[in-house]
Amino acid sequence: MNSRLRHHWNVASRREFFTRAGSGLAGLALADLLAASPADPLAAKAPHHPARAKSVIFLFMEGGPSQVDTFDPKPLLTKLHGQPLPPSIRKPSQTSRGTADNTLMASPRTWKQYGQSGAWVSDWYKHVGEHVDDLAIIRSCWADGINHVGSVCQMNTGSVLAGRPSLGAWSTYGLGTANKNLPSFVVLTDDQDPLGGSNNWNSGFLPALYQGTQFRRGDTPILDLKPPTGISDQQQRNELGLLRKLNEMWSENKQDDTELDARIRSYELAYQMQSAGAEAVDLTKESEATRKLYGMDEAATSVFGTNCLLARRLVERGVRFVELYCGSGSGWDAHNNIEANHSKWCRASDKPIAGLLADLKSRGMLQDTLLVWGGEFGRTPFNESSDGRDHNPWGFTMWMAGGGVKGGRSVGSTDEIGLRAADRPVHVHDIHATMLWLMGLDHLRLTFQHHGRAERPTVSAGEVVKEIFT
Amino acid sequence: MRILLLGLGCVLANAQAPVSFTKEIAPLLASKCTGCHAKAPVMAGLDLRTRESAIKGGQHGPAIVPGDAAASHLYRRLTGQEQPQMPFGGRLADSEIALVKKWIDSGAAWDGTLETKSESANAVFTERQKKYWAFQPVAKATVPAGAKPQRNPVDAFLHAKLAEKRMQPNPPADRVTLLRRASLDLTGLPPTPEEVQEFVSDRSATPFEKVVDRLLASPHYGERWGRHWLDLARYADSNGFKSDEPRPNIWRYRDYVIDAFNSDKPYDQFIREQIAGDELYPHDKNARIAVAFNRHFTEETNQPVIELRRQEILNDITDTVGSVFLGLTFGCARCHDHKFDPILHKDYYRLQAFFANIREDDHLNLLAGDPLQTYLRQRAVWEEKTKEIRTGMQALTTPVAKAKSDFYKIRFSEGTKVALAADLARRTPLQQLLAIKAMPQITYQERALARELKGEQKKQYAELEAELKKFDSLKPSEPPEAQTIIDHSSDAPKTHVLAAGAWDAPREEVQPGFLSILNPGNPKISPLPAINSTGRRTVLANWLADSKNPLPARVMVNRIWHYHFGRGIADSPSDLGMMGDRPSNQPLLDYLAATFQENGWSVKKMHRLIMLSDAYQRSSDGRAESSKADPDNKLLWRYDRHRLEGEAIRDSMLLASGRLNGKMGGPGVHPPLPPGTVPAKYGGWKAEEDPAEANRRSVYIFEKRIMVCPMFDAFDAPNPQESCARRFRTVIPSQSLMLMNDQLVLEWSQSLAARVLNDAGLSAAQQVDRAYRIALSRPPNEREREQVLAYMNEQTELIRERLGRNEKVPMPEKMPVGVAPERVAAFAGFCHVLLNSNEFLYMN
Repeated sequence: MNSRLRHHWNVASRREFFTRAGSGLAGLALADLLAASPADPLAAKAPHHPARAKSVIFLFMEGGPSQVDTFDPKPLLTKLHGQPLPPSIRKPSQTSRGTADNTLMASPRTWKQYGQSGAWVSDWYKHVGEHVDDLAIIRSCWADGINHVGSVCQMNTGSVLAGRPSLGAWSTYGLGTANKNLPSFVVLTDDQDPLGGSNNWNSGFLPALYQGTQFRRGDTPILDLKPPTGISDQQQRNELGLLRKLNEMWSENKQDDTELDARIRSYELAYQMQSAGAEAVDLTKESEATRKLYGMDEAATSVFGTNCLLARRLVERGVRFVELYCGSGSGWDAHNNIEANHSKWCRASDKPIAGLLADLKSRGMLQDTLLVWGGEFGRTPFNESSDGRDHNPWGFTMWMAGGGVKGGRSVGSTDEIGLRAADRPVHVHDIHATMLWLMGLDHLRLTFQHHGRAERPTVSAGEVVKEIFT
Repeated sequence: MRILLLGLGCVLANAQAPVSFTKEIAPLLASKCTGCHAKAPVMAGLDLRTRESAIKGGQHGPAIVPGDAAASHLYRRLTGQEQPQMPFGGRLADSEIALVKKWIDSGAAWDGTLETKSESANAVFTERQKKYWAFQPVAKATVPAGAKPQRNPVDAFLHAKLAEKRMQPNPPADRVTLLRRASLDLTGLPPTPEEVQEFVSDRSATPFEKVVDRLLASPHYGERWGRHWLDLARYADSNGFKSDEPRPNIWRYRDYVIDAFNSDKPYDQFIREQIAGDELYPHDKNARIAVAFNRHFTEETNQPVIELRRQEILNDITDTVGSVFLGLTFGCARCHDHKFDPILHKDYYRLQAFFANIREDDHLNLLAGDPLQTYLRQRAVWEEKTKEIRTGMQALTTPVAKAKSDFYKIRFSEGTKVALAADLARRTPLQQLLAIKAMPQITYQERALARELKGEQKKQYAELEAELKKFDSLKPSEPPEAQTIIDHSSDAPKTHVLAAGAWDAPREEVQPGFLSILNPGNPKISPLPAINSTGRRTVLANWLADSKNPLPARVMVNRIWHYHFGRGIADSPSDLGMMGDRPSNQPLLDYLAATFQENGWSVKKMHRLIMLSDAYQRSSDGRAESSKADPDNKLLWRYDRHRLEGEAIRDSMLLASGRLNGKMGGPGVHPPLPPGTVPAKYGGWKAEEDPAEANRRSVYIFEKRIMVCPMFDAFDAPNPQESCARRFRTVIPSQSLMLMNDQLVLEWSQSLAARVLNDAGLSAAQQVDRAYRIALSRPPNEREREQVLAYMNEQTELIRERLGRNEKVPMPEKMPVGVAPERVAAFAGFCHVLLNSNEFLYMN
């Protein structure tokens, strides 16, 4: 593909056609069918540098998990419990709920050091704690927005305002697809959508073929994946046979129009997807032990456990980017009673994530699958409504594992009470630059002309956090 | 010695002479590079002002490696070995690139200073910018005189270019193809078999002219072309962001647009009404609805920093007005002078200042004259009679409201809190706007408050409510309302240039003004205290609609051309700037722009002029010679076949099925969504109870910002976060899945089948013909008919067996009388195939 791909493609141009004759249900390559074309936009493309991660699984804890109750212990916070912010720490000028004058609230968790690295993890994440030597923990993350929808949007697209392409779309644009009959970028949610819905996996100004595909729960993960009730397979094949013949006859004097040809073939792909899509989400072949490993045998962990297992199956089948929401619809948003809220969501995610880490490792997949854990922001060290915590975009924790990440490391820190990033602040753009780097893409070179500007995933910032893989 | 060498240098210029930095390299850098790589913010971190900074390089590494051009990013960018190729918007000449190579290879001597433009105060714009075509006045180009006179000036212009290349254009398309093309193009619907018959048998001198006039007079025309405009206006029926609340009365703008196209509202008037209808025509309700063009920003209803929200809205409006009416990408100038186009940082805020005092008016009462008087009178009576009751109710809920609002208020930004706390009469213009914008967050519905009452109070409230209900018969029904934009008062808050676009980093104050390159002065603005408006948008509207403004007419005719041919004369309809595409035929574009203005900015006359050209009517067939000479069809030797949009596909299917409900206007409708779509409580919707309502044209489907209707989403409908000038046209399997498997498409196929099979007295072959004529406007040829009949035999047999096994096979809602069910189902399958066929999905 011409690397100076325009945001408006020339419809008439046959030369450029293959840059548009997409494929992908947002990601399904026509490469094998359009073998004559070296320029299928979803054909696998050479990365900018050797990739360490072939796939990404983004574990998105939506609503904002509290860093000071999970991965970032703060003894001083315990000491200052019930007191206002110490004078050494500047009060945030703007909070989501006007809570900056509230007193500090200690974390009631018990903490333990795990693994050889001895990283501290709270009892809310004891199963993940067992894998701490595989994690690179970044305790100095920060973001721009104080409201959920903008922050979720930024964690996905780099901008708090909807309309830019999501990271999964950028990586598909940069690398093409690695499978033939599934989307390249898949989104899995709980029973409701994340705030902002599809804006979070949209392709923005990139062509729609790069957008994420939301997999629905149940055996029909993709809209209209199954023939209408009562249409048998043979009946459908008879129809498709006639369609093909009529289309071919119409194309007889239009041989130069490769787009018509691609459309004929897209029906064959769609037909194949009907079975490939259903097979990908069919968990009946998974062993009892595997299901247990992911916590699918318990009500509290079965929803997220199922999605984690699905994520592994999708990665196995060449899906490049899986985004996996836990608490979609702002589940982790513990403005009050964080004890109950986080107990629920940590429980829901702890065992499944640990299971995913273990399963990927035992299958030899962890080395080239990048796992990213985090929310759109963290939570404040001061209380809200006496037993909750407000949004905290100034300092929070994310971690990465697998995909070339050196485990047992930590990067950066927050201040003594866990309010702001102190050492080595890592912005959302830096997280994105790092994820792309591990996938073999240089965020500065991954550009697309839009509205007269060479747009890139990190807008006008971003720095790769090299400490986690070198 | 020195003199001698210099003399020799001239002689040996092409051989061994060293490259002169001062004379050869510096001018090149100054004219092509330092616009971006010297002036803050320095692009890609690369500062080319000194040798040291050039060697140090930017984010991609050293720009210059002295002695090694091949390793220098600067050289590699110039050649295109690295992307994007520099300079943007035009490669250097090979000789210039060779010069740079030689200079670097010989050590990149930097024996002089680099004069950068940004350092000289007067030269704000480069010569290239000043001479750029789009900023020159529109002059009506002379129609070229060719060897053979062309019937239509459009053809004369196109023919001139074709003749240069010695190319022959395609012959005209056959009548059926042409009628289908024109019908889909102007109305988004295929012709009926009767319309085909009429056109094919018309032996008059001007049959196609009649067709064009008929289609332009059809109300479906406005529904089709209005949809194009709604893309540009980033129209949607909801707010976006987290809650995506509905905008219950915004649809009146959509109907305004459809009506404007149908009534051929002159485009200059269309501009005036959308920018300043409230100021210019305060008594014209339609003109006031039109201003909702500026109401289609996305909205975050729980943003505590109201200053930020206000700025985001103003940015959205500035960007949209800039791209839609002026065809320029203003967005870059939000943070700094535009790097390519002559749009200064301050120009961005000068344009924005026209909108500095706007606010939403979501309850514009549309009653007028007697009905309004009657309403007001009845309302007053009801209010009078119920005053005591309502006061009693309010007394109960006010403490709840106050508690809630006090609890919530603390989250607002400091500036917002101060504004809310300030005495009403003492608020600054900005504070007034902030307070108005903040209020909905701390305003509660009476009923919601009442739900929080307890005990005795709850009982009291219920009693009063029951009492109030007794007066319902006196209460007039709610008046029709519109959602639009107005100025808050005649006194606007100040506008500042914002550093890096940040609302809290104001720099110099600016006044409303136009693009500096076109008109450097500040326009005269007269506030309109009588209607409580600043008068600012009046001035902007008049400038945008001024025939002397070089941009709006060019931009609009290019858009019209784009929608007719699938691509514009300049192929970036919302960016005629330097980063956009150059027009493939600028004399033609200018001729059309001038003609557009001469014809009173009539859009319909422009359609006529374009569609009656040979160029529009050419066949779309490929031809080996022409394809070789001009594979991209830049010279329009043929008509470009292109896929229909999702809306036109759905509407065409509905028409073929006989189910299309032609009712126009009104609130958005909700057709059924495929199973698995997000449920209503999380952003989806519940389907209309009345199926006829669900079968309205696509332009009337409720448009949600966080869930684009799946069928349109699959077919590249824009997500209405920002203005869309051109949709992508992808080919992806999800489109095929939708057309193959969606329940609605199946039902429409069944309806089409039933429609044909119910037609008594048709033979099996005639039934096939009839379905073909409805769906594809023509009968099948012999081979096609054979294929269909062979399919029918096989499929009928298959379904007979299935029915014999008591399997459930989907059948039409209303079964045709006297036809075996297996044949009905097989025929529905055939109709399904027709609606999936390329011929159905493409404008040919």
